[in-house]
Amino acid sequence: MRIYGRMAALALLSVALLTVTSLGVLAQEPVTIEWWTVASEEFDEEVQRALVEKFNSEHTDVQVNMTLLPSSGYDERMQTTLGAGQGAPDVALFWITNWYPQALDLTELIENDPDIDPDMYLPGFWNTRVVWEDKIIGLPLGVGANFVMYNKDMFDAAGVEYPDPDWTPEDYNRLVAELANAEQRVWGGDRPRGPYRAIWYNMGARLYADDSSTTEGYLNSPESVAAYQWLWDLVNTNGTPTPADLEVLGTEGTGPVDLFLADRLAMATLNQGHMLNAMAEGKNFGIVPEPHIPGNTRHVNAWSLTASIWAGTEHPEAAWKWLKYWAGPEGQRFLMENGNLIPSIPSVLEEWEGAETEYGQAFLDVLELEQVAAWDNEHPCKATVLRAVEDIWDLINLNQIAREDIPATLDGLVPAADAALQECVGRLGG
Amino acid sequence: MSQSKDLGPLIAAEAGDSRNRAITSAINGVTARRWLGYGAVYVVLTAIAIVFMIPLLWMFATSLKSRSEIFAWPPSWIPEQPLWSNYAMAFEKYPLARFMMNTSVLVIFNIIGELLAVPLIAYGFARLNFPFKRVLFILMLSTMMIPGQIKLIPLYSIYSRLGLVNTYVPLVLPAFFGNPFFIFLMVQYIRTIPRDLDEAARIDGAGTWTILYRIILPLCKPVLAVMIVFTFLWVWNDFLQPLIYLNDFYSYPISVGLAFFRGRYSVEWNLFMAATLVSILPVLVLYFFAQRHLIGGIASLGLKG
Amino acid sequence: MATATWRTAKPQARREAIEGYISLLPWMIGFVGFTAIPLAASVYLGFTQWNIIEPPQWIGLDNYVRMFTRDPLFWQALKVTLGFVALSLPLKLVFGLGLALLLNLKIPGMNFFRTVFYIPAVISGVAVSLMWMWLLQPDTGVVNTMLYFLGIQGPNWFWDPNWALPSVAMMSVWKVGGSAVIYLAGLQNIPAHLYEAAQIDGAGRWARFWRITLPLLTPTLFFQLIIEMIDSFKVFTEAFVITQGGPLKATYFYLLYFYEEAFQNFNMGYASALALVLTIIILLATVFVNYTSKRWVFYESE
Repeated sequence: MRIYGRMAALALLSVALLTVTSLGVLAQEPVTIEWWTVASEEFDEEVQRALVEKFNSEHTDVQVNMTLLPSSGYDERMQTTLGAGQGAPDVALFWITNWYPQALDLTELIENDPDIDPDMYLPGFWNTRVVWEDKIIGLPLGVGANFVMYNKDMFDAAGVEYPDPDWTPEDYNRLVAELANAEQRVWGGDRPRGPYRAIWYNMGARLYADDSSTTEGYLNSPESVAAYQWLWDLVNTNGTPTPADLEVLGTEGTGPVDLFLADRLAMATLNQGHMLNAMAEGKNFGIVPEPHIPGNTRHVNAWSLTASIWAGTEHPEAAWKWLKYWAGPEGQRFLMENGNLIPSIPSVLEEWEGAETEYGQAFLDVLELEQVAAWDNEHPCKATVLRAVEDIWDLINLNQIAREDIPATLDGLVPAADAALQECVGRLGG
Repeated sequence: MSQSKDLGPLIAAEAGDSRNRAITSAINGVTARRWLGYGAVYVVLTAIAIVFMIPLLWMFATSLKSRSEIFAWPPSWIPEQPLWSNYAMAFEKYPLARFMMNTSVLVIFNIIGELLAVPLIAYGFARLNFPFKRVLFILMLSTMMIPGQIKLIPLYSIYSRLGLVNTYVPLVLPAFFGNPFFIFLMVQYIRTIPRDLDEAARIDGAGTWTILYRIILPLCKPVLAVMIVFTFLWVWNDFLQPLIYLNDFYSYPISVGLAFFRGRYSVEWNLFMAATLVSILPVLVLYFFAQRHLIGGIASLGLKG
Repeated sequence: MATATWRTAKPQARREAIEGYISLLPWMIGFVGFTAIPLAASVYLGFTQWNIIEPPQWIGLDNYVRMFTRDPLFWQALKVTLGFVALSLPLKLVFGLGLALLLNLKIPGMNFFRTVFYIPAVISGVAVSLMWMWLLQPDTGVVNTMLYFLGIQGPNWFWDPNWALPSVAMMSVWKVGGSAVIYLAGLQNIPAHLYEAAQIDGAGRWARFWRITLPLLTPTLFFQLIIEMIDSFKVFTEAFVITQGGPLKATYFYLLYFYEEAFQNFNMGYASALALVLTIIILLATVFVNYTSKRWVFYESE
């Protein structure tokens, strides 16, 4: 029996030895992580390549392979691979809410990792961008927000006082009228990109109930009517560029920044990427939050990029190493110092050079406001319902509707909006 | 020949171009009217040409402007100070030459594929008889009617299973199966070639394939030229397929490369236009040289029935 | 039927059939391997609800019931698309042919003109859309400026609900340089002896066009009709980049709706059903054109 015991011990020992050596071999063989990203104003190709090289040189067990995609094709590429269920990258930007179900839940990884702590990040962005159905599906990379940029030179030339940060929608319309100069094709300010964004929220207007049950009493509420009538007033100042003026060389919403940089639009609702453009062009400008109504909660359209791990990854641990490097303090600092990223981590944000400038400070103030959680892609049903009620938006912009007809028109749109909402909620959930 | 000579410079002196002779002799005699007629043709052509040139000129002007001048009012045609450096900057920013080389590789393989597959398939549909021919033909046409985007995900799934993602195979292989557009075009073309030719060759002992490659194909030169020109154009401009299948930045074709000039928030229009302009030049140059082959075929053979 | 003829067929016919299938082999491999499967997949998906990310759920005919009974956007998209086909198809056919006839003249400098007329076909995507927006801008665009000098107040083009669709049609006509190339190839196949014979009979230019050029070009015309029809039904990029379907859904094309459902609304099941219905509509139209073609398409070889 003893001999059997020895043999068993020997066998066990050899198995253990084999395991250890093979583990050692495995450890030497680095895991390659596929990472997809885009080139943008905040981080261009070179900066991101440098970041990957830095990471790869610092790590022996994980190597990152970068795929840089044009931002105009990123969604199609991601959706194709996620839909096919194969070939999706280990780590990528999951910036569309609909993709979240295929993002790995990071809760455990974060709990077991001393390096990353949810409190490190700006809470507004953490809560709106990476917490989803009680899961943590990514890390927020950088911050962005909409605000009103105003061209100080144009204000000075027109002898108009700069906007007060505490301004109202009426103030906005008044300034637009004062600043516009039809003869020289100069406009006072742009029109909002769509309804039910920050200004609509500031005026207390909502598209549908919080429980996504109905649009009745929301789409046609007095607040909604007031918001649409405010737009009507803005259009009728004749001091704001029409869609034809805005889109003439800039589809996809680049019109406002192009006209702003050409000194033909005194105020425009833009974002931090445009702020960088204006700085590069040496514009003399200021920043204020979008107008609000005193007493109401003040909102901002703000976002952060959701950097996630694909749930189908074969190397979650290795992917996490890269993700926390990229979207954690180290990566965000690197992208800030060598690129133009504005980090979502307060301890890094403190070091942001732009914070010392007047507009940088104003930008940081904007971030403090309540976020319009349902921005463009946040809730797919919002886009679906808006599509059903788009006619009133067009009618006002075309100036083909009387101001007093707006309430009745909104009432008339409720059934179509409700139908669209119910269809969408039935499919995608509330 | 002598006839074309006395018609002056207006008529291409192509030997044996009997059709030319037919047209020209029709207007022979009334010299003043002839000159007037051709003068009018030039006026019309020039007028249309100007309309068609406007975009190119506009892109060219935009590519030389500074960012704010593009949007200045009143808009100008001629840049105040032409910024030729925009072109250098565009090339500096992204490896455009590399991208164009990649596209050229794709173009060559696609053209080879189409040239191998399409005549064979089209000949089968046009000349040979076999059961279910009409059904198969309609089936082939119907593949053109399906919105392409719907096939994207299943197709990706197939190539991914075959391990062909991040290779040029998914971008080249379909050409070797024949593009339905070209097959249809060539079928229509072959059907207008008199069957007497086939019969004569068959009596001389030629087999089916000999007839295709010795008799039919040489007569299809214009349609082959169309195929080359269109394949070049389509592959050059195709954005979605390479976007879906390629990972490696340095393997991207020019269509994907151009998209990098459009940022997430704004577009550097002057650089974008400079890059676009440079990228379409090869297509126009190819067309300029290919088009002489569009003119030819049976008409120039002066074939007598 | 087919098998019966097969068995009773003469060896020669049988050999021809085998050769026929051999010639079709490349296409058949491609079809079975790379088209049939995606096609079957999308037919299946048409009976499901699929948000792309999670597994599809079978819902039977629901998508189709919704489409035909309670989806105003489907009908709007269909109406707009049919209107576009009716408007742009004749224009494209006539202008394409006219341009080709012009380009077929053998006069010096024609190589240059042929290249210039091909330019619009070469510039694609975003650049061409931008160019049109710039040309048709109501206040500052070239077109309205020219109209202004003629004493005409130009319309708002893309930004006017009544003019948006004609504007998109105009854009597509401008691209006929591409189809002119195909007409040009077709023109080369008209035997010269026919013109000579007609001339001996004393036929004038106009008569020659009607009695020779047009009849002998019918196979090309037939091709163009089918291809341009498919293209018109599938109009997308212009609306996607320029009008986004507006204003007031005047350019809300079928494929735009399809695209929104598939990739923005994450309703791939419904989008698949939409795609299938469009395919069937185009197929029916094609079969109809094919049916009439026996009366007006003339093949020299048959």
